[in-house]
Amino acid sequence: MARAGDTIAETLTPGEAVVGRSLWQDAWRRLKRNRAAVASAILLLFLALAAIIGPVVVPHSYDRVYPQYVRTPASLEAYPQAEAIVPEFESVLSRARVTAGEVTVTGSSVSAPISSEEPLDPRIVRYVDRSDLFESGRIEDLSADGKSGTMAADVIRVRFLFGTDGNGRDLLARILVGIRISLAIGFLASAMALLVGVTYGAVAGYFGGRVDDVMMRVVDILYSLPFIFFVILLVVFFGRNFILIFIAIGFTEWLDMARIVRGQTLTIKRQEYVQAAEALGVGSIGILKRHVVPNTLGPVVVYVTLLVPKAILLESLLSFLGLGVQEPLTSLGLLISEGAANMRGAAWMLIYPAVTLTLILFALNFLGDGLRDALDPKDR
Amino acid sequence: MPDADQPILAVRGLHVEFDTNDGVVHAVKGVDLDVRRGETIAVVGESGSGKSQAMMAMMSLLAANGRARGSARYREKELIGLSERQLNRVRGKKITMIFQEPMTSLDPLYRIGRQIAEPLIHHGGYSRARARPRVLELLKLVGIPEPERRMRSYPHELSGGQRQRVMIAMALANDPDILIADEPTTALDVTIQAQILALLADLQRRLNMAVVFITHDLGIVRRFADRVYVMRSGEVVEQGSTEAVFDRPQHPYTKLLLAAEPAGRKAPPAPGAPILLEGDNVEVTFRIGGGFLQGEPMLLRAVDRISLTLREGQTIGIVGESGSGKSTLGRALLRLLPSEGAIRFGARDISKADREDMRPLRREMQVVFQDPFGSLSPRMTVGQVITEGLLVHEPSLSRRDRDRRAVEALREVGLDPSMRNRYPHEFSGGQRQRIAIARAIILKPRVVVLDEPTSALDRSVQKQIVELLRDLQAEHDLSYLFISHDLAVVRAMSDYIIVMKQGKIVEEGPTDAIFDHPREAYTQTLMAAAIDSTRFRSSP
Amino acid sequence: MFGYVIRRLAGAIPTIFIIVTLAFFMIRLAPGGPFDLERPIDPLIMENLNRAYHFDKPLWQQYFIYLGNLLQGDLGPSFTRRDFTVVDLFSTGLPVSIRLGATAIIIALVFGTSLGALAALRQNSWVDYAVVGTATFGITIPTFVVAPLLSLVFGVMLGWLPAGGWDGGRVANMVLPVTTLALPQIAAIARLTRGATIEALRSNHVRTARAYGLPPFVVVVVHTLRAAVLPVVSYLGPTAAALLTGSVVVETIFGIPGIGRYFVQGALGRDYTMVMGTVVVIAIFVLLFNLIVDILYAWLDPRVRYD
Repeated sequence: MARAGDTIAETLTPGEAVVGRSLWQDAWRRLKRNRAAVASAILLLFLALAAIIGPVVVPHSYDRVYPQYVRTPASLEAYPQAEAIVPEFESVLSRARVTAGEVTVTGSSVSAPISSEEPLDPRIVRYVDRSDLFESGRIEDLSADGKSGTMAADVIRVRFLFGTDGNGRDLLARILVGIRISLAIGFLASAMALLVGVTYGAVAGYFGGRVDDVMMRVVDILYSLPFIFFVILLVVFFGRNFILIFIAIGFTEWLDMARIVRGQTLTIKRQEYVQAAEALGVGSIGILKRHVVPNTLGPVVVYVTLLVPKAILLESLLSFLGLGVQEPLTSLGLLISEGAANMRGAAWMLIYPAVTLTLILFALNFLGDGLRDALDPKDR
Repeated sequence: MPDADQPILAVRGLHVEFDTNDGVVHAVKGVDLDVRRGETIAVVGESGSGKSQAMMAMMSLLAANGRARGSARYREKELIGLSERQLNRVRGKKITMIFQEPMTSLDPLYRIGRQIAEPLIHHGGYSRARARPRVLELLKLVGIPEPERRMRSYPHELSGGQRQRVMIAMALANDPDILIADEPTTALDVTIQAQILALLADLQRRLNMAVVFITHDLGIVRRFADRVYVMRSGEVVEQGSTEAVFDRPQHPYTKLLLAAEPAGRKAPPAPGAPILLEGDNVEVTFRIGGGFLQGEPMLLRAVDRISLTLREGQTIGIVGESGSGKSTLGRALLRLLPSEGAIRFGARDISKADREDMRPLRREMQVVFQDPFGSLSPRMTVGQVITEGLLVHEPSLSRRDRDRRAVEALREVGLDPSMRNRYPHEFSGGQRQRIAIARAIILKPRVVVLDEPTSALDRSVQKQIVELLRDLQAEHDLSYLFISHDLAVVRAMSDYIIVMKQGKIVEEGPTDAIFDHPREAYTQTLMAAAIDSTRFRSSP
Repeated sequence: MFGYVIRRLAGAIPTIFIIVTLAFFMIRLAPGGPFDLERPIDPLIMENLNRAYHFDKPLWQQYFIYLGNLLQGDLGPSFTRRDFTVVDLFSTGLPVSIRLGATAIIIALVFGTSLGALAALRQNSWVDYAVVGTATFGITIPTFVVAPLLSLVFGVMLGWLPAGGWDGGRVANMVLPVTTLALPQIAAIARLTRGATIEALRSNHVRTARAYGLPPFVVVVVHTLRAAVLPVVSYLGPTAAALLTGSVVVETIFGIPGIGRYFVQGALGRDYTMVMGTVVVIAIFVLLFNLIVDILYAWLDPRVRYD
């Protein structure tokens, strides 16, 4: 690595100042060459965009219940299907207490001749509109005596690309919301762990001595606690809400971060460039700002990329156990849990959220591995 | 019985290539080399010359991304491309090898007795029980004290020199024809170096084996080798008998190498020059262990009541082996470490000065460290590195002024100023050391502590740095505290020398007096180990 | 050695004490109680209940009563399963969890180390890529996805194995849960072993062994794998403790009567004694296995044998 640079530096003729390649730029170039990492980054961006924009584009709201479409399999076809329209229209008309003739379905509208003993009450269209399948019910071709005519209505065509869940809600919309929650918790909890861990680790490492001893002893004790159980306790006792979940996860994940940052700080403190800065008379702040922080950043970035999937996994686990976000809000873990409960007969309820979560975790892992290789290229 | 002139090892057209992310690196480019029975040859070259890789290729020890082409015949048996199984009849039996890193070359998980026995069991047909007396014998042969007890030791319980002796014992186990010694003493202290080299020379004579020394150290070559191969960038540029190559070098690179021994002397300071830095009974104590709930710490006195006086324009060389406390002393004098005793800078007593008090003085007392890779912050440009001190001491300077000063400083240390926006990792070791020097002199200091500034560099680069430092000293009337274990460099730099051992001064005096008439036994050993390189082996 | 074990065990006592104390007060500070969730009870009965369970006393007294009982090995009665004491529940559930967990660990160790070592020895071959790819898969997919999918495919669709249930621990009933538990561990151990083996193969002492013409078996098994196993040993401590104390996910999905579910159920039902019991048992397992790992490590690596 240094060798390639040497030759450039030695052969260049004096003149205008040459711009160098910083280690970050090097890392960026290496990352761009890693196809798995780039593909993962693109997939994650796509999923994130889908989670943000998706719910607006998808025609169903994640909490809209379609009682007649409970556990509808995933399909590209629109519902209702033709064979479902006729009986539903017939039953609607019988509820309206009119005698109905042959039901004909043309395109997106349905019609049937109707007749009655009494003149037809125009308000009976309400029976049609009340059904989830039809809208804009109207009576056409009303006969002169008002006792017969044609009842027509538009069929509401809905598509459930990923099917519906046990309450008849669109699974696609719910998965998009789930992605949103998972990514949000993943990043927020990691940010939380980052903040606490970096501060704690840097303080312990920089001050060293007694302070370091005591602070790290605390971390050791916390390590030996079954921490995931304390998260569960927290969530159980203090209620299930979004904020608490991400705080809880952040607090369980900061320990590793603190150790990493402390270790880094200790190493950097011993580096000769820090001693050189001290010999130059640079103060603590300058040393932290110009030397310690920029040089801890690499390992920290790598660790954060591994932290995000961990946090997402933890949130999903909590949701799976029924301790995560509350209905009607949902998360991937919750969806998988519902899917597992309904897998006999409604396998799609398990498969789609499971695949989504796996994709996210995969992409984050590959991106993390790519970043690690890019930032720490010794393993070549 | 083959003809004595017939080589037992003949290397022809050996090439070594490595696949790397930056393409194929051609490390060895067609090397020819002969080893005759019982002779000692040296393969000399600076780092990156391919000297080690050529040997590794022969023994099929290249890293996974390496490939070897060409021929290496051992007694008519082609080694290159031989199957592992076939090769193992030669490796460790007929040709053995010792390495540069005695600390890591032995398996940390097994007792050394077992490790020495392994080649005996697998090549010599020994049983584990029968191997034991032979292992003892070998340990005695290489001069390990208490061999019975040491057999049961693990490598981490041995010192570096002892581990290298264990490696030699392993190498001798099956009476090899050829012993390849890959920089066997580079990682050791000078006095230990001398012992290991003497041991190797002695064993070589007694056992009549051929020895191949791979080294960058011309002193070793001159003293031990019959013939020498000089390598540069993967090629042998010159070969011949040691005397011929040293007395009548043909190739310009060989001439350069031979001239690379730091030579010349520093001009003495003006008589009666004022005292600049003075230490009086300086003491530094480290606490080892202890801490929260861990009981009493162990106290280690790294610097033990040392006094010295540095005059304006003077260079004091502080000499000692690793662990002698010489670097600690340098840091303590700069108040980078807490210490006891009095330290005066000019007229001012700074022994109680804290960080704030020291800050204005920092620009007058600077330091250059050993490791040119570790002493420059990897995420700052060279310009930022050099001008960091100006931020502290001349905060009124504009960015443009600082840039101008960086250009001046770079020019002064012989670097192209257009490189100032590059990052340290884009420079070679020697260039980085120049950058570190530029960082120190940009502040126009009066005292510079030079902490092994040349130890990590190749000889030819060392010489340039030594000359640069001497020029800068003359020009700016600097005083140096020059800390080094390398006596040749110290001699070329210093007016006055302090020899340290275990935190104490063993001997001190003017350079010539110390070099010509060392009084203390320890100094004599040091000198004998390092300087006495004028004697050719073949003309004792 | 014996002295070291004794000292370590003694050193574990304050840690357990801290854990118990923290857990005790955390649970009690939370709103709600074990009798809140049911239909309103007659105040008189409520009073009797509170007295029987010492809820009428101040919290610190309850704490000391609990500590006293704990020292005698009494974890108290369960609040949600009224007919059982916590010790009863653990004595039936723990063997089930241990049996599942131990099987999974053994399988994970055997497969994980051999796959990892194989991949390292054939670095950059298709074997290596296959192992690394599968391992990434195994680490990434969460248990709560694997478990229902396995149950769906092999239990429901193919009908080869029971989709759930314990049935006294029949082998057929153990296959799917053990697989679920072992898969991520196989993956993790394989990755660890692979990395450590590659590092060991590049180390100077392995170069020495090769330079001395030692047979490949000696180079690989004696000088490489022993070093490569060290990080696996460290990893195994907390992992073994976690696996042996049961997995909520696996036990829930496959309907297994282990102790993995007790904690969540206990926490949801404000079953104080059940939660405390689980915390104590898990803490003991964690500390015990850390000790075992440290002893094993010292046995394997002479450099850490400092007593």
